[in-house]
Amino acid sequence: MSASFLRMAFLVSLGLCALGLLWRVSAWLRVRIGSDARDIRFHQRLFAAVGGTFAALFSRRIFGLVKAKVLDVLLQRRLFNGCWLRWLGHLLIVYGFLLLLVMHALGRLVTAKLYPDYASTHDPWLLLRNVFGAAVVLGIVMVAAGRRFRPTSTPRPRRLGDKVFAALLAVVLVSGFLLEATKVASPKAFYRMANEYIGSTDPEELLPLRLAWATDFGVAFPDLQGTPDPDKLAEGRELHHDACASCHSPPGSSAFVSYPISRALAPIAEPLDGVDADTWLLYLHLAACFLGLILLPFTRFIHVLADPVSLLANGAASSGPLSPAGRANRRALAIDACVDCRLCDDRCSVAPIARSLGNPALLPSHKLLATHAVATNPRWLDRQAGHARRIAEGAVLCTTCGRCTDRCPVGIDLADLWVAGRADLARAGQPSPAQWVRERSALDWDEALAARGAVQDPIGPLSSNRETYSACVQCQTCTNVCPVVAHGGEEPGPVDLTPQKVMNLLRLGMVDLAIGSSMVWDCATCYQCQEHCPEGIRVTDVMLELRELGYRRLGDTRERRQPE
Amino acid sequence: MKFALFLGCKIPASVPAYELSTRAVLARLGVTLVDLPFNCCGYPVRSLDREAFVFAAARNLALAGAAGLDVLTPCKCCFGNLRHAQRFLDEDPALRQRVGAALAEEGLALPAGVAVEHLLPVLARTVGLDAIAAAVTAPRTGLRVAAHYGCHALRPSDVTRFDHPLAPTIFEDLVRVTGATPVEWPRRLDCCGEPVHDANPSLSDRLTQAKVDDARESGAEVLATACPYCQMRFTEFQAAGSAAPLPVLLYPQLLGQALGLAPRTLGLS
Repeated sequence: MSASFLRMAFLVSLGLCALGLLWRVSAWLRVRIGSDARDIRFHQRLFAAVGGTFAALFSRRIFGLVKAKVLDVLLQRRLFNGCWLRWLGHLLIVYGFLLLLVMHALGRLVTAKLYPDYASTHDPWLLLRNVFGAAVVLGIVMVAAGRRFRPTSTPRPRRLGDKVFAALLAVVLVSGFLLEATKVASPKAFYRMANEYIGSTDPEELLPLRLAWATDFGVAFPDLQGTPDPDKLAEGRELHHDACASCHSPPGSSAFVSYPISRALAPIAEPLDGVDADTWLLYLHLAACFLGLILLPFTRFIHVLADPVSLLANGAASSGPLSPAGRANRRALAIDACVDCRLCDDRCSVAPIARSLGNPALLPSHKLLATHAVATNPRWLDRQAGHARRIAEGAVLCTTCGRCTDRCPVGIDLADLWVAGRADLARAGQPSPAQWVRERSALDWDEALAARGAVQDPIGPLSSNRETYSACVQCQTCTNVCPVVAHGGEEPGPVDLTPQKVMNLLRLGMVDLAIGSSMVWDCATCYQCQEHCPEGIRVTDVMLELRELGYRRLGDTRERRQPE
Repeated sequence: MKFALFLGCKIPASVPAYELSTRAVLARLGVTLVDLPFNCCGYPVRSLDREAFVFAAARNLALAGAAGLDVLTPCKCCFGNLRHAQRFLDEDPALRQRVGAALAEEGLALPAGVAVEHLLPVLARTVGLDAIAAAVTAPRTGLRVAAHYGCHALRPSDVTRFDHPLAPTIFEDLVRVTGATPVEWPRRLDCCGEPVHDANPSLSDRLTQAKVDDARESGAEVLATACPYCQMRFTEFQAAGSAAPLPVLLYPQLLGQALGLAPRTLGLS
């Protein structure tokens, strides 16, 4: 592979990566989440982002920025507070990879400039390359272990791009170590270097040096078996000292990962040389690096850029509320900053409810994707056949307690995202049940249910037990004490059904007419009716049970009619 | 006097002053509070799924039971909901069995005999009015306060056992002990409007307006609450209006002032 081709491939990959990044980063100013983000123009958001950055840089907030830079970005304090195992693993990955990138991948551009005698096969560089590579591998194992030992576990589906990128990363690591191991054991690599620096490829003439390299460097010469002649070995070592030692350290101790692999490869070193294994491994290593570079902006690994931005924006934020444009930017940025670590799920206040309902859509990590999808594609919800209501449950049941925000290691204001997402859900046809039930009158709902035929789902224990309401003598006490009746319905005026009429419908077995009534859904649950009922009927408890039934039955009916 | 403090979801996120002032006042009166990893009380899901609501509540009770503590909550909706869950568990053996099995999956057990208490009865009965009176150093003499009861603690009385449901006195007693004067106002037991705020904002506004007007017409200078939802409703409703708002105080803020605690420790500026 010629150097110019390599340079070209690198530049093309870098260019494509830059274009991808531009597209992805521009989404932080384009994606609109929440009704307050609808009317904000692109240039307003650009101005908010640039203006906010400058305002933070040239004010006292610079201290917050520096603090965030050190504690949150460099030391990842928030992740440490979440799970120390994953924090340690993540630091190993980040710094292992970063150092590999600077010292090894950009070796000629950076390391060689700083250290003129840089040679990748000499210590400390050989040792460090193995240390950093091993740190990345160890870090990946620790992060995976940290994920496995989580209390709640409902992973959200991985995207294809993420899977491919993770595979490429594995290829880079494995091919890197294999390449180094192959070269350690390769006689061909030895002869190539001998030709270059000594001017000979004659096995006999090079015998002393070969003995030294077979003994001290692990080159697998097939003809050199058994104990070497000590004189020749000493001669070879002297030659090595003069010709090779300035660029080569013995890999036995330094390359603590690749050297053991090279011992395993030694028996097949010759056939590997025959098929140019080192060349192909280098191609593979570089191809995986370049492909990864191109793919990076289109994967969740964009977080390597989005997270520092998110954390720095947090650190620099003024104590006052964000501008609407700034808030819109932060919501859009949040989508890319999320790494799906799911630490938020562990702290979610309604996680037990999610478990009881069997609905992971309540959990923050799942809600984030749904919030983004609903905001950017109004038709997305329609395509979630049968699941739209379950996704909406996530928004309805969220208590905005903010624990997810507190826990997020990259400082996303998740609670703000959930509130904003509710408006988008309502636009997409999934407001809260108490709102969509108003789309029809109680009579219309009843007719729609009748048209659907008999419904078999169970009625709640109170409503299905005649004893609950059979004592009702229609005395109207419940109606007289009801604040909803007293203050009217949508506008001041009569409600569609009074509490006592609801009880009567139950007595008549007309439960389907009751569940769509605004009386049931407007009930303030103040328990005045239940407290005052002379017959001890649990009127409010029945109202709440009717809502549950209405949510199921009317929700099913509504979902079937939606496509029209 | 030691309780597991159940803050619920609204207080930490939206009414942090309630947590601050509750902790400050109870610390002064010798009540020890323990924090446990509680979850949502189940109130938001009560209209949609009975079993999920009972499970969420039961999980909290199980955590308190495992710690050998009774529960104290400053939120009337959490209070009522936890009490309702206890009732449903008691009257429905099949539900009790299913919830117990779900708790067992995470190594928890349905607790027996965990008491759920609201802040006001703990102050009035466990700490005692006499003990509070003895601790008052800066009585709020002359301040006319409308005590807002909050539905979910008061009713249904057979579940909440908070006070007499038709003629309660506990909140007025607690106002009096601070040196302030409780005003008599006809709508003191009415709904604040919060529970219908999402379903029917206009109805909600009418309910809240009626309460605020009544308190003002009855000569109150301050409206006192003991629930984050009521507090948020009165504050946000009045902030959106044009009239000068009737100040709304959380009860432990009022008490804290009478106990001579620094405004900052009560979440007051």
